[in-house]
Amino acid sequence: MIQFEKVVKRFGPRTILKELTLHVPAGEILFILGTSGTGKSVLLKTLVGLLRPDEGEIWIDGQEVSKFSEIEYLGIRKKCGMVFQQPALFDSLTVFENVAFGLRRHYRLPEAEIVSRVHSSLAAVHLPDASEKMPGEISYGMQKRVSLARTLALRPQVLLFDEPTTGLDPITTASVNLLIEELSRQFSTTSIVVSHDMTCALSIADRIIMLDQGRIVEEGSPDHMKRSQVPLVKEFLAEVVT
Amino acid sequence: MNSLVILNSVIDEIGSALLFFVNILKTLMRRPCSRDELFQQIWKVTMQSLVTTGLAGFFVGAIMAVQFTLQMREFGALGYLGGLATSATVREVGPLLIAFMLAGKVGAFTSAELGTMRVTEQLDAIRCLGADPLQEIILPRFLAIICASFFLLGLGLVMSIGGGILLGGLLAQVSVEEYLRHIPAIVTLSSIANGLVKCFIFAVILATVCTYKGYTTTGGAKGVGLAVVNTAVSTMVGIVVADWLTSFIADVAIRAFVGSPF
Repeated sequence: MIQFEKVVKRFGPRTILKELTLHVPAGEILFILGTSGTGKSVLLKTLVGLLRPDEGEIWIDGQEVSKFSEIEYLGIRKKCGMVFQQPALFDSLTVFENVAFGLRRHYRLPEAEIVSRVHSSLAAVHLPDASEKMPGEISYGMQKRVSLARTLALRPQVLLFDEPTTGLDPITTASVNLLIEELSRQFSTTSIVVSHDMTCALSIADRIIMLDQGRIVEEGSPDHMKRSQVPLVKEFLAEVVT
Repeated sequence: MNSLVILNSVIDEIGSALLFFVNILKTLMRRPCSRDELFQQIWKVTMQSLVTTGLAGFFVGAIMAVQFTLQMREFGALGYLGGLATSATVREVGPLLIAFMLAGKVGAFTSAELGTMRVTEQLDAIRCLGADPLQEIILPRFLAIICASFFLLGLGLVMSIGGGILLGGLLAQVSVEEYLRHIPAIVTLSSIANGLVKCFIFAVILATVCTYKGYTTTGGAKGVGLAVVNTAVSTMVGIVVADWLTSFIADVAIRAFVGSPF
């Protein structure tokens, strides 16, 4: 479904992704873990064309997309919905209009279909009554869920989560993590989750990748990661134990 | 070496802003923004600056009247007070004043708004949701600043004439009729063209700088603060430099195509 082939991304003199190669089969829930600044978010952004790789290839559904134009990327962005680290809701629009935003731009749907999709997406994130509220009137955790509903409304084949639980309290974190698993299984999507949360990764992921300084230092199933001798993985596991 | 690095970064920044401006023009040609959004933005920009521009215009008119009165009394030419004060406002002070007012209020507001949208990933989200931020967000604000500049210039001029009449009457006992009498003779088509050209150029500089600085903001809340400061500094410097350039070029052009600048 998704392949990164020797992808290199540089910002000035700093190389963030160093010949990174990664394959993600359809339907998998993949967690990418790593310390801050190792290129996790950059990886997601190169996938949807918000950043362009300096070298290497990115394949999505058999198409090499790294050289796509902004117009060509529109199709990829329909397939790959991204949930950002911040809720990134539009302040001047209601929750309903926020969720409908992508539907109105990506598709020419009748209004009744848009209304139905918005309400079903909000129901899927357990916010059926929030549609008329403004983003400023709801909590940060709710805003994150609206952001997820906005992405879900497009019915993407791939869901990309950029640190979905950053800044949330433990209870909301648990509910968002549960939601990720529930929605990924329910809609049979391929999900790539960038996170620091090893506990969540061990309980939800089909596969976990540990990224360090732009390279994959370990990958495998949750059980494999629990037995890993890689120092960075052990440090993350130590956090789980404590 | 250090000054070379600074010069290099300034040239780099000007180049990037020019490329951004070209991209806005390309977007305007290919995919114009929604009319509703444009009118909404024009309304917002105009209303944001209406009171300050009106007040500033009134006092500029008053200041011009005071300054011209002091000098013209000696020549017994107070009858020309209204014409000269209005001509100076139309040609130079009005466009400059509107540009500075807009830079302070709308420029800072726009760059902070766009900068916040950038650092909270709203601009990235727009791209992911199938829209073009240049078309949806930047273009309406860019065009609104230019359109609103002309409305505000008109308002500023009317208010400055009001301020001039009041102070002319109080200070030099020039009647309203006398103040207005020479305006049509002195404020010629070329004066008005000069003012309009300057107003347009200043507005384009302001709109380009504030949208560019906001759109390219990095580094969280501190970055937004820096973008606002840089917008204020860059627009002020840009407008003053452009004023000098346009004064020179416009005078030459107007002399060549229209006639006397007065």
